[in-house]
Amino acid sequence: MKENVVIIGGGPSGIEAARRIRNFGYTPILIEKELRLGGHLAQWDRLFPEGVYAKEVLQTLLSDMDGIKWFTDVQILTINRLKDTYVIKLTNGISVQSKAVLITTGFQLFQAEKKEEYGYGIYNHVITNADLERYFQNRKDSRIDDPKVIGFVHCVGSRDEKAGNRQCSKVCCATAVKQACEIKQLYPDATVYCFYMDLRMFGRRYEDMYLEAQQKYGIRFIRGRVSEVSENHEGRLVVKAEDTLFGRPLRLSMDLLVLMSGIVSSHQSQELAKMIKLPVGEDGFFLPQNTILEPCKSQKQGIFFAGACTGPKTIPESLSEARAAAVAINDYFNTMTE
Amino acid sequence: MMRERFLSGYDSFVLPFMIGMAFILVYCIAGMIKVIMQLNKEDKIKLAKSLFYPANAFKNLRDIFADCIFHVKIWKRNKLLGYMHSSIAFGWLMLIVIGHIETWIYIPQRSGLLYYPVFFRYFMSVESYTLRGSFFFFLMDFFLLMVLSGIFLAIFKRFRSKILGMRRTTKLTLLDYIGLYSLWAIFPLRLISEGFTAGISGGSFLTIPVNWLFANFLSKPENFDYTWWAYSIVLGVFFIVLPFTRYMHIPAEILLIPMKNAGIKVRHPRKGMALAQLYSCSSCGLCIDACPMGTQKKNLKDSTVYLVRQIKRRNETRTREISDKCLMCGKCAAICPVGVAACDLRLAVREEQKCNIHGDYTYLKSVVPDLNKQNDRGEDKVLYYAGCMSSLTPVISRSVVKILDKAGVNYELMDKDGSICCGRPLLLAGKKEEAEALIAKNREIIHNSGATTLLVSCAICYKIFSEEYSLEGIKVIHYTEYFESLAKQGKITLTKGSSRYVYHDPCELGRGCGIYDAPREAISRIGELVPAEKEKKDSICCGGSIGSLTLSYTERGHITQYAVNNLIINTPDKIVTACPLCLKTFSKYSDVKVIDFAEALSQQME
Amino acid sequence: MIDFGFALTPSATLQIDNLDNKLFEQLRNIEPDVAKCMACGSCTASCSAGNYTELNLRKVILSLQRGREQDTLNSLKSCMLCGKCNIVCPRGINTRHLILSICKVYNI
Repeated sequence: MKENVVIIGGGPSGIEAARRIRNFGYTPILIEKELRLGGHLAQWDRLFPEGVYAKEVLQTLLSDMDGIKWFTDVQILTINRLKDTYVIKLTNGISVQSKAVLITTGFQLFQAEKKEEYGYGIYNHVITNADLERYFQNRKDSRIDDPKVIGFVHCVGSRDEKAGNRQCSKVCCATAVKQACEIKQLYPDATVYCFYMDLRMFGRRYEDMYLEAQQKYGIRFIRGRVSEVSENHEGRLVVKAEDTLFGRPLRLSMDLLVLMSGIVSSHQSQELAKMIKLPVGEDGFFLPQNTILEPCKSQKQGIFFAGACTGPKTIPESLSEARAAAVAINDYFNTMTE
Repeated sequence: MMRERFLSGYDSFVLPFMIGMAFILVYCIAGMIKVIMQLNKEDKIKLAKSLFYPANAFKNLRDIFADCIFHVKIWKRNKLLGYMHSSIAFGWLMLIVIGHIETWIYIPQRSGLLYYPVFFRYFMSVESYTLRGSFFFFLMDFFLLMVLSGIFLAIFKRFRSKILGMRRTTKLTLLDYIGLYSLWAIFPLRLISEGFTAGISGGSFLTIPVNWLFANFLSKPENFDYTWWAYSIVLGVFFIVLPFTRYMHIPAEILLIPMKNAGIKVRHPRKGMALAQLYSCSSCGLCIDACPMGTQKKNLKDSTVYLVRQIKRRNETRTREISDKCLMCGKCAAICPVGVAACDLRLAVREEQKCNIHGDYTYLKSVVPDLNKQNDRGEDKVLYYAGCMSSLTPVISRSVVKILDKAGVNYELMDKDGSICCGRPLLLAGKKEEAEALIAKNREIIHNSGATTLLVSCAICYKIFSEEYSLEGIKVIHYTEYFESLAKQGKITLTKGSSRYVYHDPCELGRGCGIYDAPREAISRIGELVPAEKEKKDSICCGGSIGSLTLSYTERGHITQYAVNNLIINTPDKIVTACPLCLKTFSKYSDVKVIDFAEALSQQME
Repeated sequence: MIDFGFALTPSATLQIDNLDNKLFEQLRNIEPDVAKCMACGSCTASCSAGNYTELNLRKVILSLQRGREQDTLNSLKSCMLCGKCNIVCPRGINTRHLILSICKVYNI
């Protein structure tokens, strides 16, 4: 008999893990709350550092789904444990049983309107990184109206105790630099500024991307966190920050401000953590058994993690973790039968 | 008919009482002189004038009766607690008064002796009962019973304070305990003494049965001398320890009330008005429950009652610590039964701390905001001051402007290019002189603008603008009152929606300036207003207050959470507040949407 | 002295070797938050007084850590204690108390 493996969350980690688990000879059951699979990946246009289209990556992942059961537009009602089996009731009335549950609930973006001083939802020309990706996909957004001066604000809701998130979101620096270059491609005459606290270009080729942003696209980097945004009588945005390298406060008028909303633990993760009493860190992300040796195992038997539900990650990192989780689950079944 | 039992009209058992009485009288008179001498000249004149002004004299008398005897404020809080206080105070007063009347009627030649009315029953013997005599006997027993019932409640409260509406009470000092136990003992001993004597001196429904009991069950009932000694001794002990215990509030309040009514303010943390308040604190501990910092156990000793204690003990380190930590939300002062001006005391402590930095605001001289110098249309002009904080909550000024436009008001923005602080934060940090410099500059800008009305949306700014600025010819108004009046006049049309709102009273606006109703009336125009668990005078500080100098961000978070829970008790859809700081503070912690007052109105404006 | 067109000023480099940070440690005891600053500049950007003067809290904190307090301390005199920096600080530093504590410890 083929064992079931329930995977909660149909983003890139969930899909990749399902494929690998199937390859090990189990029956993966993928549960997704949205109407489509793909998670945040489906909402992104291009990926750093090379600018690969997210759509292509997702298509490749979804091209090979034979032997995988999946439900979309479905949420979890209850999870109960009977001996070594988890019984999961879904909102569509179906109940599934499995000895191993993989959590791939990912992340959600910080709600930018919570940082009221940045004026998201108040001023017309303030958008978020997610809004900009949507614009790159369909070129429709009334807020983007032939901007001459564009600003990117890094760390919106990240590294910010006042927003309740002390952690660094890891991927926004690279995303901001990527988006700055992309918008410069669309509006070559525009002047583009990036307001950063620390530029964290940790991955391979990221530094090249940064260099290209400076050399090829002429993006202007200002080390200073934006403290407030107002609107002048012409309806242009006025940004206040300190140029900390120069050591003076500055004011800058602009036509478009992009807020790099940070990565926070998803609502679904919080719910799940309560349901099955899984420990989470102060940042709200799940705590694995051992962050170095067993990043995919939870502190509960039969529950596994992959992807951004244990902290901000890039797409390749999430995919690798999904594969590692598949191996961990296979090992788990093997030790059970021994 | 009655007659004296002893020709001398004296027995040595009255000595303890007389010593105590003499001590307390001297102490109180000396204390009163000290307090008055410490007032500055201006305040002394103020006090003297108010004492001879008939309306004020009447008010003093009324307040003394209402607060010291009938304890009206405590009644309002909790009926049992109110009864406990007023039964003891009023009953005791009546015992003294009737004792004097009796002495004066029956033995007028003794009416000058302090102890005589108190121990009247010891010195008298009754020969035959008259109607008048029985009436007095009845009254004396009646009031004794009243006091005893109060004492019983007090003893009960020691063990079960919750039933009398108090979660936490003060930790007592050793002397407090001596005072407490002697107070508890006074009246039962009086009952026993008078009971023993009732066979000779007469009595009524309480003392006669006690006398009967003693006569039947005790072998030598004639040894009643000892109980009179005991009664006199506890009275003496109570009076001698009184100045060093919480019970000092009984005489001190009689001085404090006229001083308060004369409008005298605290100017020094230990002298004059402050001294009168320190003595008047009854250590009741109501402020412990009131303090929002009490959400964390470690802050319990930072409430006003402990501040008073530390100032009295001259523990400067703790005094400073407590004063600097306080949010200055004013809740303890608002509910204090004796009216200790807790915030003023703390401010006085802060002012006393000499810091080596002195603010230098000469740079403001060159600041000339770009305002229309003249009131161009010669009509009313509203100058809107958003304040420093509001630049971090842009929704407020945008909503205000939207409403002003709609109402067709002639207005101008005072601080569109950056605010000069109103001075309230400096004042709250105890830097009065520095604050004056900012006040002077802002006053100059306001006067030069040709405005007739100054509109303020920040509760913190509003407090100082209305209290310290003295802007002649210019009306200072908070946007809650202004927009409510615009709606009332029909200058803006608000439509009632389906949302349920709860209104949070910002400390500076509610307790600070007494504005509670205007915002509520306006909100009732746009939807359903649901009450918070504690509101108006009892509302809970959001935790963001600039009043506290030392409270850390995480500690404030606990208070915010507590305040949010208090607001959402009736499941509102939105929390409305009228202060940028409250808005900013709540937004981070509340799952229920928090919006500004002007934002709420503008959303429902046609 | 011969004018070379430039001058050697030994104090131009930060003398970290002989840094006497007793005062800074004293400050840290009173207000431990001072160590949390990550130099983002939010405080300076939003500063009400910084609109008109040299006041720069970020620089003040840095100069204290480097033992160069004389460079910046005087600028604190223009602070209006309005508390905006307190609100914007992403690390939740109690900046108002920090400023008051600096004044106390550094005796200006």
